[in-house]
Amino acid sequence: MTPESAATSVGPGLILARYGELWLKGRNRSLFARTLKRNVRLALRPFAGTRVERGHGQFVIHASERIEEVVQRLQDVFGFSSVSPAWRVRASVEEIAARAPAIVGRALEELPRDRAVAFRVTTRRADKSFPLQSVELDRVVADTVLPVHGERLRVDLSEPELALEIYVRPEAAYLFVERFQGAGGLPVGTLGRVMCLLSGGIDSPVAAWRAMKRGCHATFVSFHSAPYLGEPSKEKIRRLARALSRYQRAARLYQVPFAAVQEAIRDRCPEPYRTVLYRRMMQRIACKLAPREHSAAIVTGESVGQVASQTLENLRCIEEASELPVLRPLIANDKQETIALARRIGTFDISTSPEPDCCTVFQPNEPVIRGRVWLCRDAEKRIDVERLVAEAVDGAELEVFAYDD
Amino acid sequence: MLGSVKLYLDNAATTPVSAAVREAMLPFLGDAHGNPSSRHALGVEASRAIETARARVARATGARPEHVVFTSGGTEANNLAVLGLARANRSAGRHVLIGATEHPCVRDPALALVEEGFEVETLALDGDAQPDLDDLARRLRADTILVAHMMVNNEFGSIYPIARLARAVRANAPRALVHTDAVQALGKLAVSLRGLGVDSLAISAHKFHGPKGSGALVLAPDVRPRPLVFGGGQERGLRSGTENVAGIVGLGRAAELAEGEREIRTAHMRGLREILERGLAGIGGGRLLFAREAAVSPSIAAVLLPGPPAEVWMHHLEERGVMTSVGSACHARKGEISPALSALGLSDAEARQVLRFSFAGDTEPSAVEEACRVLAELEPSLAPLAR
Repeated sequence: MTPESAATSVGPGLILARYGELWLKGRNRSLFARTLKRNVRLALRPFAGTRVERGHGQFVIHASERIEEVVQRLQDVFGFSSVSPAWRVRASVEEIAARAPAIVGRALEELPRDRAVAFRVTTRRADKSFPLQSVELDRVVADTVLPVHGERLRVDLSEPELALEIYVRPEAAYLFVERFQGAGGLPVGTLGRVMCLLSGGIDSPVAAWRAMKRGCHATFVSFHSAPYLGEPSKEKIRRLARALSRYQRAARLYQVPFAAVQEAIRDRCPEPYRTVLYRRMMQRIACKLAPREHSAAIVTGESVGQVASQTLENLRCIEEASELPVLRPLIANDKQETIALARRIGTFDISTSPEPDCCTVFQPNEPVIRGRVWLCRDAEKRIDVERLVAEAVDGAELEVFAYDD
Repeated sequence: MLGSVKLYLDNAATTPVSAAVREAMLPFLGDAHGNPSSRHALGVEASRAIETARARVARATGARPEHVVFTSGGTEANNLAVLGLARANRSAGRHVLIGATEHPCVRDPALALVEEGFEVETLALDGDAQPDLDDLARRLRADTILVAHMMVNNEFGSIYPIARLARAVRANAPRALVHTDAVQALGKLAVSLRGLGVDSLAISAHKFHGPKGSGALVLAPDVRPRPLVFGGGQERGLRSGTENVAGIVGLGRAAELAEGEREIRTAHMRGLREILERGLAGIGGGRLLFAREAAVSPSIAAVLLPGPPAEVWMHHLEERGVMTSVGSACHARKGEISPALSALGLSDAEARQVLRFSFAGDTEPSAVEEACRVLAELEPSLAPLAR
C-alpha cells in the first residue's frame, strides 16, 4: 500500500474491523458494541473524515487517507480480532468480478516477481439469497483474475501467499487481501474500572495493560518519595501513563507523596518489614482513592517468586490491608514473558530507563521472606496509619493524559 | 512547576540566556529570516551577521575568524575535532591519546575510532587528579596523531595545564595535533588558541549565557578536519547545512560578553565559592573538593557531603528551590565513578556523595547563602542516613 501503488490503482476506501468475543456476551452485546464504537471513535479522533459504522460482527470504518495509520490504531483497540483494509462494491457477481483483477494487481506489486505467487479466492456469504454459492463465486472471480495476472500466480488452495477474500452481505460486498491481527480482549470500559498501581518497573505497566485488555478502564496510582527522589522519577511515571493511554486513549494518574509514610515506617517499624509495610500502605491509599474513580479493584504487577519478597506469605500480608480485591494479572508469568509483553506494548524502554522508584528508598538490608499478618498489624500500631493515609490521599496530584495531546 | 528558580546553582549544566544575547538574536527569529547563502539583500544581511559573530568568537578565543567553524554545540564540535582530525591524519599514524576525565562527547568518538583501526589510550592521573605529564611523555610516539584533553573538568572544575601538555606533545610527537574541549573554560579562564598552543578547541554557547544548540570548533591555521556532515559546503565545507543564524549570532554576542566581562565575572564567582566554603565549615563531614584555587575554575564547586548519596541531598535542596547537580548532568544517569575522584582517594561510596554547585556571573550571593542555610538545616536529618 505504498503511495506509488495507490497511484496506479485506487486504494481501499474502508477498513473492516471484526470483533471476536463480543458475540459470546449475550444480553450485554449492545453495551459492548456501543463501548467499542466509542473507543474506536476516540482512537481515530486525529483522523478527520473517518466514519465508523457498526455492521454485523464487524465495524466498517470509512477512511479516505492514511489507511495504514488507521489500521495500526485499530490494532491497539481492545475488542477486535482482526482488521482488513477493504474495497466495497455492489453485491453483484459482475461488479465483484470486475473489481477483483485490479485489487489483486495492486497486491502483486508488493510480492516477489521471481516466482509464481500462491493464490486463492475465498468467499463468505452472509446473504444466502446471493445468486451464486460461495465456491461458485470463488471460481467466477478466479476466472477473471487469472487471465490478467496468470503469469504471476499459481492456484494453491491450502497455503496461499495471496488470498482474495470476498465477504458478501445484503447491502454490499467487501473485497480484501490482508488480515491484520487485532488486539483481542474486550472493549475498555465494559467491565468496570480498576486502580492500577504503577511503579517505574517493567511489570506494573504490563499488569495494567492486561487489565485493560479484559475490558477494565485503568486509573493509575503511583507513589513518589520526594524529596529523596526527584522530578525525573515522576516524569518516568508520566511517560509510562502516556504510553499506556495508547490502549484506552485517556489515562488518569495519581502521584501520591509517600516519603512521610516511609520515614514513619523507617523510624518506628522493624526493618525487615519495611517493604511489606510500604505496600500495605499503598493498598490503603489506593483503596481510599478508588471511590473517586468508581473503581472496584486494585491491580498490581506482582507475581509469585518474582523477587524474594514476593512470596505467598508476603502477598497475603499486602492483600490483607486492602478493602478491595487485589488483581494480579502477572501472577504466574515468567519474567521473560512479561518482558516480551512490555516490549510489544511499548513500555519496556521507558521502564528500563534508570530512574529509581520509591521502593529503593530506605530499602531494608534483609527484607522479610515469610511475613506474618499479625506482625504487620503489630508494627503498624506504632505509626498513625489513618493520618498518614489521609495525608497521602490529600497530597495526591491528579494528572490526565490523552494519547494524542 | 519551575516558577522559582532564583536559586539556580547548576550553571555548569547550562546558563540562562542573557538579555543582551536574546536581544541580539531576536531580529534573526523575526524579519531577518534570510538564508545566508541567498544572493539577495536578506541573505546578505544574515551572512553579515554570521561574519560578525565569527569575528567575535575569534577574538574571544585568540584565533582568526576564518578558522572558526560553527556547529550545533559542544558535542558536535568535539566530535568533529576527534573524528575529523584523526581521520584527516590517518596517513601519519593511528595513535590517539585522550585525558582520563574527558566528557563522553570526546571519549565516545575516540572509542569509536578503535573500530576504524586507531589505537586509543587514556592518560593517567597523578595524586592531585591532574594529568600525569610524565606518563604523557612516555606514551607519545612518532605515530601519535592526536591528543585530546579537556581544559576545565565539568564535574569538579579542575583546571588542566593545557599549554604545558601541548608543549610536551610538540616535543615528543611532532605529528600530533592537540585538541582541547574548552566548553567549561570560556568566560572563566583565558581561552586562547595561540596562547595555549593547541590546534583546535571546542566551545558551546549555552555554557556562557548563549543559546542551546550553538557552538564552534576553533582551528589553528592549516588544520583541517575531515567533515562529519556533507552537503551544501557551508563553513568552508567543514560543516554543511544552512546556518543556525540566530544561534550563531547569540554565540557571538555571548562569547564577546563572556570574554569582555571575564575579570568581573570570575571575581564574583570566586566570592561565591568562598561563601559556600564558609557555609560548609558548619556542616560536619562536609568539605570542598579540589580546593586549591589556582587549579580550579571559580564557577564549579564540588562538595563532599555526609550521609546519603548526593542525589538525596540534591532533591531535598530542590524542594527548597535550590538547583544543584550530581556530577555532570551528562554522566548522572550512568552511575559510574569518575576516575578523578578515585585518583583523589575517594571510595566508591564517597564518590556518590559529591554534589556539584556551579555559578555564573549573574548568580546572586544570597542564593549561595540560602543554599548554605538549607544545607545546615537538612544536616541533622540527612547526615545520619547511611543509605
